[in-house]
Amino acid sequence: MSLRPDGRRPAHRFAADDPDVIVVVGSGAGGGTLASELCRNGAKVVLLEAGKHYQPEDFINDEWASLNQLAWLDERTTSGSWRIAREFPHLPAWTCKAVGGTTVHWAGCCPRFKDWEFRIRSEHGPIDGASLLDWPIGLSDLEPYYDKAEYRMGVTRTNGIPAPPANNNFKVMGNGARRAGYTGVSTGRMAFNTVPRDGRPATIQDGFNYQGDKQRAHWSTLTAEIPKAEKTGRLDLRPESMAIRIEHGKSGTVTGVVYADAEGNERRQRARAVCVACNAIETARLLLNSASPLFPDGLANSSGQVGRNYMRHVTGAVFATFDKPVRMYRGETMAGIVTDESRNDPGRGFVGGYYLELHSLGPSFLANFLSPRAWGREFAAIMEQYDHMAGMFLVGEDLPRESNQVTLNRDVVDQFGQPVPNVHVDDHPNDAAMREHGYAAGESVYHAVGATATFRVPPYPASHNLGTARMSAQPEDGVVNEFGRAHDVPNLFVSDGSVMTTGAAANPTLTIVALALRQAGHIEREMKAGAL
Amino acid sequence: MSTPGTAISSSQAMATITAAARIMYPHDALPDDVYARVGERLAEAARSDSGTARMIRDGVAALNGGQTFAGLPADEQLKVLKGIEGSDFFELVRSTAVAQVYSDQRTWQLVGYEGPSFGKGGYINRGFNDLGWLPDPEAAS
Repeated sequence: MSLRPDGRRPAHRFAADDPDVIVVVGSGAGGGTLASELCRNGAKVVLLEAGKHYQPEDFINDEWASLNQLAWLDERTTSGSWRIAREFPHLPAWTCKAVGGTTVHWAGCCPRFKDWEFRIRSEHGPIDGASLLDWPIGLSDLEPYYDKAEYRMGVTRTNGIPAPPANNNFKVMGNGARRAGYTGVSTGRMAFNTVPRDGRPATIQDGFNYQGDKQRAHWSTLTAEIPKAEKTGRLDLRPESMAIRIEHGKSGTVTGVVYADAEGNERRQRARAVCVACNAIETARLLLNSASPLFPDGLANSSGQVGRNYMRHVTGAVFATFDKPVRMYRGETMAGIVTDESRNDPGRGFVGGYYLELHSLGPSFLANFLSPRAWGREFAAIMEQYDHMAGMFLVGEDLPRESNQVTLNRDVVDQFGQPVPNVHVDDHPNDAAMREHGYAAGESVYHAVGATATFRVPPYPASHNLGTARMSAQPEDGVVNEFGRAHDVPNLFVSDGSVMTTGAAANPTLTIVALALRQAGHIEREMKAGAL
Repeated sequence: MSTPGTAISSSQAMATITAAARIMYPHDALPDDVYARVGERLAEAARSDSGTARMIRDGVAALNGGQTFAGLPADEQLKVLKGIEGSDFFELVRSTAVAQVYSDQRTWQLVGYEGPSFGKGGYINRGFNDLGWLPDPEAAS
């Protein structure tokens, strides 16, 4: 829906009491894709988004200014033994609050999950301190949707789309990886255009990914899905609309969503079905904040699993300095990957796999993240080597734990009087062992091409937030079924990474999109059958 | 009596914070003005929050308890700062300094960062792949 010439939005397309509307909460990878697919196949959708509707030209090529524009900075609290609780106690996650959700800030890395990653309980057996569970679906169930998602997102190295060219940072990581003996080394499968496609241009290698993509070369729901949905005339996008709670009738089916509009006024939208896609922390929070006499522990929470099994990947970064210039900040930030360590090989001292991925930061964020709270002459001397520095990101599978959990902090309320989420994490020993292995692997890569020094960078606030409403075959083990439908509520769906039973090593966006496309097909079939 | 805002922007407070910021993130080639911006940021924060204003006023006073902090030799300043490392005041100044100093274009120039690039056409024709001391890893495979 475009703005009027005076900058104001037109009136809502659908009435607040329209009985046919599906309400999708959240416009990121899951919600934005689902809304788009539903609209394109004939459904009427109200898409609620807490953030503002920026356009790519509004994005800012500056790390702090961009963070303040796009990041979800509403109050959150943390607890547990993870470093984030000490170093970033009010920023457990680095996600976005804007139309397009966290797709506006991602680098575009699109590995698929592997077959065994859908059934790690069977693959590994029971593990102390972990709540492993097999997905109710396998790779073969998702493969057709991976195909569809890759085509839709324009993923390089699929559908005849050319590979990204090697940039400076990848020349260092890629050569180092080959010399260190790795073979799965490439510029990767990336959801940005290497040639013009789908009405969006090819990348100009501007080097700004986490700050929003001014180029429009990257797939995002902001630039690729929502505009197509708007053309159908069946999307009612409502930015600056923060969902407060989901309401239900006497029978336990959901009837609508209460939200706060841009002026802070409480509004109510009737719904035929509700699809929650607020990213793992806010999805769990919304379900918990929707508790009622019928659902005293929160909506869809008869299993007690809502908020539990919060995952955010084993992450870390390795940076290295060299005698000669690198200029890692030039070009697509994450266009490089080493896949060799993504296998399951318990002989390494941990189960599950991880990837080494290309990564860079500008001086503003590097100084903040390289060694949190470091200062002094030695630190300043490292920063002076910025243009001689290369970087990589580690991303691997973390194990779900019941006690790694999003709960409501009733002592702290937000601007709408709602309890804020508390995020509690204790690293599993498997996560710590994998991270150590990844640091050593990254260092070996850089030493193979002559690094003068290497730096192990601890995890940042996570952009991959998963698992708080997990899929399960049995209702007592999780929150939703294989289609993301709540076990307890027949017309309530979860449509984001919260549904992941386990998180695999892969960056999650491609899988979130594939799951949303699969869910859209299911919802359409249910509507045709009169079940919704 | 002075208001918190004027207390923070007093010349002694500004000189103290400027000197402390330079000791925290010392780049000899950078002018004092880069570090003075840290004091300006803190003065802004003090104007909008009286607790912050008090913390800064007390912290600055403590640093100047013996001699004038800004007048001490650098190694003495370092010793004094190490003595308060981890305090709320130290962390406020440090976190403000790390954000401010490394977001200053003069620092970017010093460390070899080119800043915003979209308006210049990105790096597609400006050296995104100009590293010459290693081959293209995929072509080499």
